[in-house]
Amino acid sequence: MIELTDIKKVFNAGRPNEFTAVEEVSLSLDSGKVTVLKGPSGSGKTTLLGIIGCMARPTSGRIHLTGPLMQGMAFAPKGAPAEVTSLPERFLTEIRRRAFGFIFQQFNLIRGITVLENVMLPAYPMGDDFKSLRERATRILKDFNLSGKLSSRIEWLSGGEAQRVAISRALINDPAVIIADEPTAHLDTKLSAEFMDIVKRLKGEGKTVIIASHDPIVFDSPIIDRVVEMRDGRISGEHIRS
Amino acid sequence: MILHPSIMALFMSSFLICLLLMYSAYYGFVILRKWDIKSGSEQQLELERRTYLISTILTYVCGFQLISLFLYMFTADILHPLFAGAMCASGALSVNSYGYPTLLLKIFNFMAAGLWLVLNYTDNRAYDYPLIRTKYRALILLTPLIIVETYLQTKYFRGLKADIITSCCSTLFTSESSTIASDLASVPSVPGKIAFYAIMALTVLSGIYLYLKGKGGYIFSAFCGLTFIVSIISVISFFSLYYYELPSHHCPFDILHGEYHYIGYPLYLCLFGGTLAGMGTGVLMPFRKTASLMETIPAIQKRLVVFSLVCLLIFTVMVTYRMATTPFILEGY
Repeated sequence: MIELTDIKKVFNAGRPNEFTAVEEVSLSLDSGKVTVLKGPSGSGKTTLLGIIGCMARPTSGRIHLTGPLMQGMAFAPKGAPAEVTSLPERFLTEIRRRAFGFIFQQFNLIRGITVLENVMLPAYPMGDDFKSLRERATRILKDFNLSGKLSSRIEWLSGGEAQRVAISRALINDPAVIIADEPTAHLDTKLSAEFMDIVKRLKGEGKTVIIASHDPIVFDSPIIDRVVEMRDGRISGEHIRS
Repeated sequence: MILHPSIMALFMSSFLICLLLMYSAYYGFVILRKWDIKSGSEQQLELERRTYLISTILTYVCGFQLISLFLYMFTADILHPLFAGAMCASGALSVNSYGYPTLLLKIFNFMAAGLWLVLNYTDNRAYDYPLIRTKYRALILLTPLIIVETYLQTKYFRGLKADIITSCCSTLFTSESSTIASDLASVPSVPGKIAFYAIMALTVLSGIYLYLKGKGGYIFSAFCGLTFIVSIISVISFFSLYYYELPSHHCPFDILHGEYHYIGYPLYLCLFGGTLAGMGTGVLMPFRKTASLMETIPAIQKRLVVFSLVCLLIFTVMVTYRMATTPFILEGY
């Protein structure tokens, strides 16, 4: 479970261009569910995703993580929720590597290296055996029908293929939570539907999925458990479907 | 004289250290008053972020504080040709009444800054800032000490006048006067050697016990402190004589000279480094049962014990090798 308490994020605090991106956000996200943060551009969805995924620290407020996503973390007291906003950067890095898998709007795949290398990259700091890592990456890519593209460079891929590589990369460290920021923004209807099928499969595997999107194909999908509406950095509404 | 490069380096670094320490101590004071890890307030999160900056600044500040002791010794040594009567650093330090107090305070602050670094390193290994209050309380105590050191050092360097006739080490460290230095010089060599090797053996044994069993940190730490005192006395009273091959020359500074192959620097580095690491194990003892440090502290203590023992053993091997290989025979004088 991910529990957010009174989260606030201010950029350029104290300067003339001070901007409050997120304010008074309190939220509990259950494990194994698919949640969509829905809202127009500038509503604070991406900022909130970054804070949940420990990529940014809030200006105030706390985030507690508990359950399967904290398994194997040296700093998580057994059974107790771990507060992550106060953690030193070293521990946040460990959380980002182990607990979260990120799918970015622009995919952020690295050009000039192969599909297989892109997928293996987030696992290098874990120090796993290279052969078993390569086998794991190959297996994930095979699951996404990318067996024939292992040696292809990123710039040779179609949009749909790049998206599946990005998802494969997010899964390489077997995270409990998948965070996706506007994953269908650059995809056509068919590829967006394909993405939602993959999300369904991840949900079936017990993953928690958090998606920021204002695409109806995403938030109207029947696999979504909860839609949290955001506007001007605050939660403006909520729909729970299951 | 104040424009000498070494003096300017010490001046500038000491003033920078003082400024950064005062800045850090201010935030240390705020942290002591306002810190509340359970709160998610903007102020608390700001303090959490600020503590990374302070910790990084202080790592460099205390690191330089360690180096500055040796720079001070080096500076005093290279200045000695400028004063009539001075043969080494001991003469240069006697030019006015601030030289030796600065050296003694620098030695004390070397240990204090080093122990603070041990605390800070340990605190940074934990996820919940368990030593935050302890280390900032220590910082608030350390800051005035380093400010006083800077004041004394400034008075010393500003008081260096080339027309002053000073004393040479052979008159300062002689057994024929009644100063502390001469008391140290007149310690008899055979009981002194027995005391040195006995305390070193006890330190090594207690260190091995701490490494293997994880117990006895306070005892090892105390033995390291005692080893330091006994070793300094031993250097003045008899180890130095083997390097100079003179039965009446007890100076602890001449061994820093090139004619003695700068042997004083590795000797003192090993002695100070070994003592500091050994005392660091004791500083961590009260926190061994802190939940977030239960696994971290024993591992850090093991590394400190190894470092300490290696340094102290190198020191012992160096002085023993010199005693064994020089044709000079001390006993009988």
